[in-house]
Amino acid sequence: MRKFFPVEELARDGRFNQITMKDRMADPRTVLGKDGVRPSSNRLVPSRPDASTAARVLMHGIFVGEIQALEGAGRTCHDFRTAGDQARRAQDAAAGDDSGADAVPFALKLDMARQAWDEARHVEISVKLSDWMGGEIGEIAENTVLQAACSTDPVLRLAGVNRALEGLAIDVFTTMKEFGDLAGDPFLEFCEDWMLADEVTHVKMGSDWLRKVTENDPERRKKALEFQGIVDKLFSYGGTRSDSEESPIGLARRFRELAGFTDSEVEDIAEVSLAALNERKDAVARLQAEAASQFAGR
Amino acid sequence: MADPYKPRAPFAPWDRRELPGSFDVEDSARRVGNYKWAEMKLFEALGGWVATVPELDVKMRLGTHCYKHAWHADLWHKRLPELREMNPDRLTQPANDAMVRFVEAMTEPEAPDQTIEKLVGVYRVFIPRFIAAYTFHKNNTSQITDAPTIRSINFILQDEFDDWRDGEMILQSLIETPDDVERAARHQARLEAIMVEAGGIAGPGSIGMTSTGASANGPQNGSAA
Repeated sequence: MRKFFPVEELARDGRFNQITMKDRMADPRTVLGKDGVRPSSNRLVPSRPDASTAARVLMHGIFVGEIQALEGAGRTCHDFRTAGDQARRAQDAAAGDDSGADAVPFALKLDMARQAWDEARHVEISVKLSDWMGGEIGEIAENTVLQAACSTDPVLRLAGVNRALEGLAIDVFTTMKEFGDLAGDPFLEFCEDWMLADEVTHVKMGSDWLRKVTENDPERRKKALEFQGIVDKLFSYGGTRSDSEESPIGLARRFRELAGFTDSEVEDIAEVSLAALNERKDAVARLQAEAASQFAGR
Repeated sequence: MADPYKPRAPFAPWDRRELPGSFDVEDSARRVGNYKWAEMKLFEALGGWVATVPELDVKMRLGTHCYKHAWHADLWHKRLPELREMNPDRLTQPANDAMVRFVEAMTEPEAPDQTIEKLVGVYRVFIPRFIAAYTFHKNNTSQITDAPTIRSINFILQDEFDDWRDGEMILQSLIETPDDVERAARHQARLEAIMVEAGGIAGPGSIGMTSTGASANGPQNGSAA
């Protein structure tokens, strides 16, 4: 089995349809309302006219996100040599890779295996919740965001998956838990709360390992945090997640703090998310202007 | 109320544990190092395969089982210093070169249409060998001096049986045609041959018998009896 699996080859059954982030962002329907105008508030609340559909779509997004998180954690168990594993080192050397740079502590891999189990449970939970909410597997396209989990540097992978992707999960689960509470759905609220507890643990794992592994390598830590910033912006989905009421998903500041984010790190994510929202709005405005001028020119 | 000062036998009549065991400290540590290495290879393989299998139920099972074997590896990692091996990496070794080749062959299948081969390697060859080696260790080590190893084995065996049953049932649901049967059997035979060469998870003597059929469970093998 190869080390480092490309995101394009993630195995799925026939029900799934995968699209890239670029394709998704090119679809103006993801940012405009029914009348072609962006509403001032998009928060996922039961009073939204499309609340039921929006919640089902988000739940499907959680479901496929959990599959990818499961795959990412599993691959980290496999892709990197465990420090001290001489037999694997000899195998790698025989295969022409004797750098040893990818060795990770045994305890880090144990954490990733634990995360794989947690994510497997999350897939189970979200399948059942989707069914509960009237959804079906594959009814919404799967956005492939696992590029963050395909980095060949374990520290970058931790920053991308455990801090950025799992950080987004904290925001999403908090929003969904609140939605369950407001909508009077204790089943949804109960499940989201359990998943939220796991996600805080995963982000904390990422924060702790990032600090530990880069303790004596400030340059590598800087690079990892920069990578996390890029992934955070990517995961803001053009403003789907931010402090603004225009974003369906809010930023869960309190849970992020519990997970080891500093105040300034949370502020950075808030800024990046807001910038992503504004960039997306500008891009859509441009598209609309272009379309209008084409129409006027006919 | 019974007299609390009345002398009692240190071992109650129902406590039949014995001191003698087949393994001295070094034997036990060597085996534990082999177990840890093999459990590590198994959790790494299961984790790696998650992204390669299209079947959703299999994907979730592999993720769940991945953690269980990582936990087993951790139990053995923590046991090694208690067996006087202060550098656990030193004994975290495959039993022999054939065991390395077995793991290489077991982890070869990667394509999305090779789920049967992936599961056969784990659930029809590797895990049954774990069950055998652990059972032999549990039944032959000193029930008193090596009680911490036995306790870990009891936890681990429960997982191994549960996971073997899960994997076997999934396999039975995937094997639908005579061609599938042939595929599964062919791959199992190939892996089994390498495993026989390796002699089991802890090498020859994993279950007490050597390849010549002689018992490896005697005084020359570190009996404290």
